[in-house]
Amino acid sequence: MTDYFEEFNITPLAQGETPNHMLHLARLLRDFGMSPYEFNDELPPPASKAFVDNLEEITSHEPESSCPICLKQFSAGEIAKKLDCKHIFHSTCILPWLEKTSTCPLCRHEFKTDNADYEAYKTHKKREKEREGEIENLHNSMFS
Amino acid sequence: MANIAAQRIKREFKEVIKSEEVAKCAIKLELIDDNYSELKGEIAGPPDTPYEGGNFVLEIKVPETYPFNPPKVKFLTKIWHPNISSVTGAICLDILKDQWAAAMTLRTVLLSLQALMAAAEPDDPQDAVVAKQYKENPEMFNSTARHWTNVYAGGPNKNPDFDQKIQRLTDMGVMSHDARVALSTYNWELERATEAIFT
Ligand SMILES: [Zn+2]
Ligand SMILES: [Zn+2]
Repeated sequence: MTDYFEEFNITPLAQGETPNHMLHLARLLRDFGMSPYEFNDELPPPASKAFVDNLEEITSHEPESSCPICLKQFSAGEIAKKLDCKHIFHSTCILPWLEKTSTCPLCRHEFKTDNADYEAYKTHKKREKEREGEIENLHNSMFS
Repeated sequence: MANIAAQRIKREFKEVIKSEEVAKCAIKLELIDDNYSELKGEIAGPPDTPYEGGNFVLEIKVPETYPFNPPKVKFLTKIWHPNISSVTGAICLDILKDQWAAAMTLRTVLLSLQALMAAAEPDDPQDAVVAKQYKENPEMFNSTARHWTNVYAGGPNKNPDFDQKIQRLTDMGVMSHDARVALSTYNWELERATEAIFT
């Protein structure tokens, strides 16, 4: 069981702090699907800078493997970047993409962004999904 | 055009030419200009759909920022489909918008369009009139789409009843395409279509 503050991804007010009414309004709108920042119809924001700076570099390649962005074969010893999902790209190919959006161009695995609004939205979506799953489980256990 | 975009298209072009879909005549890709920024696509109407037997031509424009941004694709062949504008040929398909990924190719785009023709998504329509008919009157939708395939895409199935109704309107001086649009919109009710055209 998560506590109230954790579940809603918020922190309790500190001593002497006053509530931020604009923030509350924004959360209220978001929870009723009237988000002022609607991420549904656009690409996720750019990947986090720290994530991009720390991408794994590799120099040995499977024979005949090629970069999914430019479609050129890797040559022996050529430096390439490996994402967490294990997909490999030239750095000149993957960096412009990650500057645009935080997903793998091949499998759409999502990486961290530096956009606080988007990260909050992601947490909210994930929680929504989990809740759906819980309701489904409950329903199954009651009616099976 | 940016180097990476042109090089990518060159490689993709070779890939498509060799693909089994081209061998089976399901898709086709042709260059329009020498700098790889504009292409002509062609897809065969999928079997067991009203588009079967038709051949659909697409305009493909490759942006400078390709493959980081999707190609701009629209139908040049007129088509009756909920997710494709019967007026402009504009397409509503997620991978051509927010679901694009740099690893996708013109081949995957053409195959996705073929899949869209086989399975429309009426809840995310591009053409509200067509989508409404698709949902409320699927049989009427099928005959209308088949008729458009016959007239514009070289499909084999003539519809003498529809052709005759169009003839009635063209006899009154209406352009045949305008007559077809009005009749298609009003479920081939001649009176309502006539009224819509002349008011
Ligand atoms: Zn590359
Ligand atoms: Zn991946």
